[in-house]
Amino acid sequence: MDLARLPNDKKLQLCRWYFKVGCVFLPFVWAVNTVWFFKEAFVKPPYDEQKQIKKYVVMSGAGAIIWAIALAIWVTIYQLQRVSWGVIGDELSFIVPLGRP
Amino acid sequence: MNFNYSLLFFIIDILSYVSCERLHKQIYSSIEGGAACFRRLNGTHQVGCSSSDKGAVGVVALIRDVSDAQWLTQNATAGPYMAVVGTSLFYDVMDLLLDQPQNVAGVLVFDNATLGTSSFTQDSKCPNEYSSGPGSQCSSISKDNKVWNEKGTDLLRKNIPFPIFFLPESRYEEITKIEGCYERYNLDRSNQKNMPLCSIQLHSFMFAAVNSAVCLRRSATTVLLTPTKVCDPLGDNNVYYSLFPRGKGLESKTKPVILVTARIDSASLFDGVSPGAASSVVGMVTLITAATSLAQMIPLKDANLYDRNVLWTLFNGETFDYIGSQRVAYDISRGAWPPSAPLSPSDIPLHIELGQIGGSLMLNKDNESWPFYAYTPDDISKVTQILEELNSNLGVHKMTLSPVFTDNLPPSSLHSFRRILKNVTESGSLTEVLLTDFNEKFTNMFYNSALDDYHNIGFLYHNISIGSDGKFIPTDELILNGTMKKTEIQVKIAQFATAVARTLYKEVVGNPYAGSVTASAHLVDEMLYCFLRSQACRLLLAADYGSSGSGGRDERLPEQPAPLYVGVAAWSGTAPVFAGHLLALLTGDHLAVNRTKCDALTDPNYSYYWLKGWNHTGVCIQTTMNFSQAVSPAFITPDYDFTSGTYSTWTESVWLSMWARVFVSAGGGGARAAAAGGAAATLLAAALTAWLRRHAAAVFSAPSTQVLHDASSAAGILRTVNC
Repeated sequence: MDLARLPNDKKLQLCRWYFKVGCVFLPFVWAVNTVWFFKEAFVKPPYDEQKQIKKYVVMSGAGAIIWAIALAIWVTIYQLQRVSWGVIGDELSFIVPLGRP
Repeated sequence: MNFNYSLLFFIIDILSYVSCERLHKQIYSSIEGGAACFRRLNGTHQVGCSSSDKGAVGVVALIRDVSDAQWLTQNATAGPYMAVVGTSLFYDVMDLLLDQPQNVAGVLVFDNATLGTSSFTQDSKCPNEYSSGPGSQCSSISKDNKVWNEKGTDLLRKNIPFPIFFLPESRYEEITKIEGCYERYNLDRSNQKNMPLCSIQLHSFMFAAVNSAVCLRRSATTVLLTPTKVCDPLGDNNVYYSLFPRGKGLESKTKPVILVTARIDSASLFDGVSPGAASSVVGMVTLITAATSLAQMIPLKDANLYDRNVLWTLFNGETFDYIGSQRVAYDISRGAWPPSAPLSPSDIPLHIELGQIGGSLMLNKDNESWPFYAYTPDDISKVTQILEELNSNLGVHKMTLSPVFTDNLPPSSLHSFRRILKNVTESGSLTEVLLTDFNEKFTNMFYNSALDDYHNIGFLYHNISIGSDGKFIPTDELILNGTMKKTEIQVKIAQFATAVARTLYKEVVGNPYAGSVTASAHLVDEMLYCFLRSQACRLLLAADYGSSGSGGRDERLPEQPAPLYVGVAAWSGTAPVFAGHLLALLTGDHLAVNRTKCDALTDPNYSYYWLKGWNHTGVCIQTTMNFSQAVSPAFITPDYDFTSGTYSTWTESVWLSMWARVFVSAGGGGARAAAAGGAAATLLAAALTAWLRRHAAAVFSAPSTQVLHDASSAAGILRTVNC
C-alpha cells in the first residue's frame, strides 16, 4: 500500500489500528508501525492528524523497544540457565538439544 | 529441436551425477568393520564416547610407542590428531591421552595378534563396586587395597571426551590402508602445519546426555510434543529352569529349592563386540551342561521321591550393576519370582553361583589340572559337607577345590542377594557358595573386553557330528579313541559340569550318585562353538524355533557368535533365547505329537516349545524352562530416586549412525586462494557498479517513448489495484 496516495485521516486510522493490534502481544506490528509511519510523523510537513500519528508512532516504537529488551533479557537468561533449571528447563523447551546437557 | 535439447540436458544430468560420485569417492575412503565406543548413562553420570554432530576430524598419528603419544599431546602442531594405536599399547597410551585431551580428536584402536597383548580390560579394577554387598573390601580408588581386576582401566565407566573406534583383527587391511596414507603425507612430523595431511573422521554422535534421569525425562512424551527418544534402559531376559515342575497345586511347589546360577552377558567398550569367553560363556556352558547331566541322573518321574528341587538360573545384564540378579532378588523379596510359583527367601537353603570361570584354562593348558575356589561368606560348618562332596567329585579328575571363607566376595550375583535379601543372607538361613577359578585376583586378563574371545580360553573346535537321536559321545569314549585329550578345555569343562551335577544329585537325593551318566565333552565342544564362534551351529539349529510350513529361519543364523552384551530392554537379545532353548532341548521331554497338538497343550506346570529338533523336522518339547524380565527394579519402581544407588540405573544412548573414513585434508593453500579470489571478485564488482552508476548516462541510451508509455500504463494498473 502506498501511504503517499492515502488521505491523511485514513493514515491516522491505519496507524491507530496498527498500534491497537500491536497491543495484543504483537511487538512486531508495533515495530512495523514505527518504521512505516516514521516519515509521516517526523519528516512530512505538518498537517492536522500528524500530531496524533506522531503519538502512536512514538508509543509503538517505545513498546517495540521494551519488548525487544525484555525478550533479549529472557533469551539470555534462558540460554545461560536452562541446564541448571533441570526439569523446568526441559519443560520450557520446545527443542532440547541432542547430546549435551 | 526441443527433443534434442532435453536429450542434451539428460546426458549432462547423468554425467554430473556420475562425476559427483567419483569426486566423493576420490576424496574419502571409508573404514569398514569398525566398532564404536558409545554412550551409556547411570543415575548420576554419562559414560562412554560421543563425537560431535558432524563427526570428529583429526590428523592421523600412528602411535608405535609411548613417546609417539607424548609427542601427540605435547609437541604436535597440526592438531587435533587421531591416534591410531594397537591393543598392546592401548593401556599405556589411553592414560596420556585422557590426561591431555586438548590435542586429541579421537582414537582408532586396532587388534593385531602378532604384536599381542597380555591384558586388555576396560572394566573397573573392582567391577560393580558400587553394587557390592556388605563385607566387600575392593576399592578402585585406594592404591594399597587388593583389587579383583588388576589391569582394569575403568574406561567402561568413564566419560571419554573423544570418540574411540575398534578395528578387529579381521579388518587389519584398513590399518594397512591408513599406514600407506600416513607414510605418504604425515611422515615429516616437524613440518606438518599447512601441509596436506592424511586425516580420519570418526562419527558416533550420541543423543543422550547428563544421566539416566535426564535422558529418560527427555525421551518421555510431554503434553506438547512427542520428543525424540534419546535413551533406553538396559535389560533383557533371565532364563530359569527347574529340575522338577514347580507349578501351582503341585506337591513339589513347596519343596526347598537349590538355586544354581551363572551369568549370560558380557560387555566391552565397543558396540557389537562382546565375546565374553572367560567372562561369562564358560560359566554359562558349565551350567547348561551340568543341568543336562542332572536331568539325566534324576528322571522326572521320581520328582515325588525327593524333598528338594534345583532351580537353574541364568542372569542377564550382570555386567551393569547386576541387572538380572537384582531384579530376581527384588522379585523374590516381594514374592513375585518365578511368576508361576513364587519363591520366598526361606525356600532357598542353598545358592551356588558358577562365577567367572575360564580365566585359568590357558594357564593350565598343558596339564589336566584346573584349580577352583569356593568363596563363601558363611560358617564353615554349613558348607563343609557340600564343599567336601564337590571336592571329592573334582578330585577324580585332578581338579582341586580350595574353600575361601570371607565376606569379601568377588564380583558375582551373590552381591545382589546379599544386598536385597539381607535378612536371610545375614542370618545364615541362605547358604551361599561362589565357584571361580581365581583367587585374590582375576586370572582372566581380558575381563569384559573385545579380546575375551575363544583364543583367551584356548578353544579348538572338534566338529563332531550329532546323530538324529541327539545323543552325544561320552567324554571317556572321546578320550579312549583319541579324539580329545584330557588337557583340552572341552574335557575339563565336561568334567567340572559332571562334578557339579553329582554334587547336586547328592544334595537332592541324599546318596552319592552311583550311575554312569557324565557330562559329554562333545556337547561342551558344540556349545562353546555356538557361543564363541558361530550361531550357525548344530545345537542352535536344533534349538531354533521349528519352522511353520515353508522354510522358517532355516540355515539363516549368522556365522558369528551371538552378541552377549545385554542391550536395551526394548529389544530382546538372541543369547538368552538360545540359552533357554538349549536348556529346553537338552533337559525337556520330547513329546511325540505334531505341531497342532503341541500348541494345544496347556499343562500349567510346563511350557511347550516347538523347536526344530535334532533331525530338523520339528519336535514338541515339554519343559519347565521359562524366561523372566531382566530389567532393573529402578525402572519399574514409581518415583524411584535415580541418585540413591540402590538398584542399577544403566541406560544406553540412542544414535543415528556410526562410521569412519580416511581422507587427505587440504593444506589450507587452496582455501586461502579461494578466499582471496572471492574478495577480489567482490571488490571488482563493486568498483564496476560504481563506475556504471556514474557513467550511466553515457553507457545506456535514453529510454524510448514506447518504454515510457509502458511504464505509465503499468503505474496506472498498479494504482487501480491498490487504492
